[in-house]
Amino acid sequence: MIHSLFLINHSGDIFLEKHWKSVISRSVCDYFFEAREKAVDPENVPPVLQTPHHYLISIYRGKLFFLSVIQTEVAPLFVIEFLHRVADTIQDYFGECSEGIIKDNIVTVYELLEEMLDNGFPLATESNVLKEMIRPPTILRSVVNTLTGSSNVGDTLPTGQLSNVPWRRAGVKYTNNEAYFDVIEEIDAILDKSGTTVFAEIQGVIEACVRLTGMPDLTLSFMNPRLLDDVSFHPCVRFKRWESERVLSFIPPDGNFTLMNYHVSSQNLVAIPVYVKQSISFFETGPCGRLDITIGPKQTMGKTVENMMVTIHMPKAVLNANLTATQGTYTYDLTTKVLVWDIGKLNPQKLPNLRGSLSTQLAISGNPRYIMTLKLSQLMLVDCLKVSRLDMYGEKYKPFKGVKYLTKAGKFQVRT
Amino acid sequence: MPYLGGEDTVRELRRALSNPNVQSDQLRYRNTILKVIRAMSQGVDVSGLFSDMVKACATVDIVQKKLVYVFLCSYAALNPELSLLVINTLRKDCQDPNPMVRSLALRNMTNLRLPSLMEYVEQPLTAGLRDRAACVRRVAVLGWAKLHNLQPNSEIDAAVVNELYSLLRDPDPVVMVNCLRALEEILKEEGGIAINKPITHHLLNRLSDVWGQCEVLRILQRYRPQSEDELFDILSLLDASLVSPHPQVMAATLSLFLSLCSGLPAVSLAALERVRGPLLAACGSVSRELRFTALCHIQLLLRSLPGLMGAHYKRFFCGYAEPAYIKQRKMQVLVELVNDDNVTMLLDELKGYCTDVNTDTAQAAISAIGRIGRSYSDRCLEILTGLLALKQEHITSAVVQTMRDLVWVCPQCSDTVCLALEGCEETLQDSQGRQALLWLLGVYGEQVSSAPYTLEVFIDGVRSEVSLGVKMELLTTTMRLFLCRPAETQDMLGRLLHYCIEEEPDMCVRDQALLYYRLLHCGIEETQKVLQGRRSDPSLGVLIGRPSEPISQWACSFNTLEPLRQGTVETDSTSRGSPEHVTFEPKPNTDLSDTLNFSLTLLLFLGDEKMEEDYMCLEEQIQFPAIPHCSPQSLQAAMQLVNIQTLAFTPPHTLPWRVYLYTHTQHAGDSPHITLILGELLYTGEANQRAVLKKALKGFLSILTTVLHTLSSERK
Repeated sequence: MIHSLFLINHSGDIFLEKHWKSVISRSVCDYFFEAREKAVDPENVPPVLQTPHHYLISIYRGKLFFLSVIQTEVAPLFVIEFLHRVADTIQDYFGECSEGIIKDNIVTVYELLEEMLDNGFPLATESNVLKEMIRPPTILRSVVNTLTGSSNVGDTLPTGQLSNVPWRRAGVKYTNNEAYFDVIEEIDAILDKSGTTVFAEIQGVIEACVRLTGMPDLTLSFMNPRLLDDVSFHPCVRFKRWESERVLSFIPPDGNFTLMNYHVSSQNLVAIPVYVKQSISFFETGPCGRLDITIGPKQTMGKTVENMMVTIHMPKAVLNANLTATQGTYTYDLTTKVLVWDIGKLNPQKLPNLRGSLSTQLAISGNPRYIMTLKLSQLMLVDCLKVSRLDMYGEKYKPFKGVKYLTKAGKFQVRT
Repeated sequence: MPYLGGEDTVRELRRALSNPNVQSDQLRYRNTILKVIRAMSQGVDVSGLFSDMVKACATVDIVQKKLVYVFLCSYAALNPELSLLVINTLRKDCQDPNPMVRSLALRNMTNLRLPSLMEYVEQPLTAGLRDRAACVRRVAVLGWAKLHNLQPNSEIDAAVVNELYSLLRDPDPVVMVNCLRALEEILKEEGGIAINKPITHHLLNRLSDVWGQCEVLRILQRYRPQSEDELFDILSLLDASLVSPHPQVMAATLSLFLSLCSGLPAVSLAALERVRGPLLAACGSVSRELRFTALCHIQLLLRSLPGLMGAHYKRFFCGYAEPAYIKQRKMQVLVELVNDDNVTMLLDELKGYCTDVNTDTAQAAISAIGRIGRSYSDRCLEILTGLLALKQEHITSAVVQTMRDLVWVCPQCSDTVCLALEGCEETLQDSQGRQALLWLLGVYGEQVSSAPYTLEVFIDGVRSEVSLGVKMELLTTTMRLFLCRPAETQDMLGRLLHYCIEEEPDMCVRDQALLYYRLLHCGIEETQKVLQGRRSDPSLGVLIGRPSEPISQWACSFNTLEPLRQGTVETDSTSRGSPEHVTFEPKPNTDLSDTLNFSLTLLLFLGDEKMEEDYMCLEEQIQFPAIPHCSPQSLQAAMQLVNIQTLAFTPPHTLPWRVYLYTHTQHAGDSPHITLILGELLYTGEANQRAVLKKALKGFLSILTTVLHTLSSERK
């Protein structure tokens, strides 16, 4: 199936290669580099390339390309998902997925890749199971290792693989039993010039951190489960029970995991928490233009909006910006033509405003594009998914439980 | 990759590895080996250290073992003799009490991939199959597949195969799936693993981990249930994974569903409805690649169920930050979703994309508007005309090409187009755009007042013209314009012909010019007949929207790489030459590896001599049984059953009533290429009535195919 994997950095150097069958020469990547050249922007490289003898399937994550070489016809979703799983695992192990981190931990990465695939077929991909075979590096452990000369490899047989529940290892013990759930909702929205919503949907995810002794069986129920359009679960969730009763019943993996992803796409339900009043104009007479943006809260239910940030992609012809912000700071990157306005907390009494003049070349082409990122903490939107209760069966102790809600802007755009 | 000081590094490493002090200190030894692996991953040739590394293999430290194995597996092929030394250690490790060590040794033993070591490997592998630890069995099972790959022509050991078959019942799910994978590889020549009823049901009841599930589902596609009851049992088992959160499982399940239900279209359609949710969710996924793949598969689904995503069209609106390949796919989907209710919204949206920074995306958006224009021409032309005012080079070029294609299909919009054309020749730079402009000027010369002046500029610059296509088009256009506006054009036509015949270096253009010159000698009527003979026929109502295809048409390419590839060809088709130039292309019209999109315009030209000849002889061969009453709808439905699509037909109750048909066959040979078959059905309403039956059409099809095949083979 997956024959080889190449990791390629932003500037086009192969810095890691792994072959699960016979060795394939690096020159196979030339086809990829050709496409990369043609696409100009690395994001635009098509994920599937066909060469005379191979298929090249790649994903682009964290400024790195994960390029897999495949010799036979395969299911593309399978390979793409697997490559993402590799990237996820690296991220999970080292905290980030970047060239530097991979180079620093190259040996662990090799070990991981060796365990994840055998003869081109996925073998162990659950992070719980992997972590038992290859322990992730921590500062403490690397200090201990240097002192004692012990290794990063678990020298016991990974017990989880033999328990009845493949994602949970047996014999977990904690002194403090805790279960935390973060309900994170990202709003993807496109607003048009006048501020009306062209398209909006909410992408939600429930991240869980469960540290419970033994084999607990949890049941999580919601106040408003009907809200959810498309849900997808961690394999531990009993799907039949969700279909019939709309509750999540599961034996959790140990540690951090993503319990479920969901969508809320019905347009009238999605309330946009902020509004943007913007005007941008370029004078025909001289090489300058004028910009004026105001941001205000809307339907926030009395909660504060934090970490507000506005990114504006200016047309190529804009040379410089001379602006004043009533709140926060702004920077204008001359090479990428991106204006970033970091506002911070949104004060409903005194609305933040950014105005001033732009100096331009004579020819103006294209409109500026706004991309906003913002974060609303502890926010309960009208349509937010609410957890009603969490019950535990199968174990006798009383765990500590907690749920946190967070709303963020995902792909949030304002058109001009 | 050149690496500074590569040789020095190797020398230093060798010194360190053979230093007894280092060897005795476990930590230093391991760190040195770590350095070797680092150097290896940076592309330094460290194969010279092989013998030193072999020695480092004999250790109790598992990490060191792993590192050495990584090294050995990469360089074993270069040092087959020295590799023999490792085997002993590996075999000893296979006896180790720790299952991790056993599986590690077994895996690396097979990863060395040296045919010379096979005899040493077989025994531990056999023992591995019966190991009590599942992780060793997992490795051993795949080990047999690797061994077989080393010597693909060797005899297959029946005992091993039997053992593997029995391990399909292993309690560990991964061992089971690995057995499937191994048997598939070993028995490739016999067509893979034999799937019978007990195996099928055993596998279906033990679907566990995501990756294994996909593979099981793929292999089960070969199984055919014996009874309808069994089929429905299987389907109900699969039902839950049809809405699996993992898109790869969902796709694999649907693929199996479609292959199982090939005889039950209603069930298949219900399955398609059911995967709508998961597919849409995948379209909104964080991963771009996943979104792209999901979009490509949605395109497939829409071929059979055009209304499937109708209500969700907003999910296909593009975001700014999305890569170009996703935007272009989304537009292709949007075009399919147009209806009366959302057309305004969609066109507004597409209009926004026309000014995209990426020129490919902008052009794709413009041609998408053109596609919608076939059904909603007024609104689209308004937008296209508006775009011309931007005076952007790539936009103007795309708009003119789109207008040309639109006019060909909807001749009634020619007035608007002709008005819009004025003045856009100044912004056109690329050859495709200018070709399109010239074509429009030639065909609608009498409606564009400035046509001769525009042409004059082109003719004056013909000496410096590099594009062959533009020159050819220029010749044809000038000839056409001469026919309708002789007074203004005569002089420049003379100049152009003179240049092309006397000075033009390219043979094609010269021949073309000579042809026209001789044609003019035949008299004006002859010329008119040749040059203005063919126009698209406005009385032919082009079917709005694609007719829904049967699912079997694309089911086999679902969940493969096929749908991901198609689009690239399709976007290219917009930049082809003008429709009429097809006839000048040296390729015979029987060998059409072009897209359908393009073939539409082609059909109208296929009525040329060769084709008609074939057709004439056909008419005599086939006896169409007469059917007194046959409505166009029922005819169309009947033909779709045998995979023949109607392209266009004249309005009902007109005589003679004509239908244009096409079908295409796909060759599964070394290069997938498509043969397109076109035909015209004539209903004269006279004594020799011809109507169509399914059977007759099949005959029609097969005979046409043979005729076209012989034709194409003759030309080769």
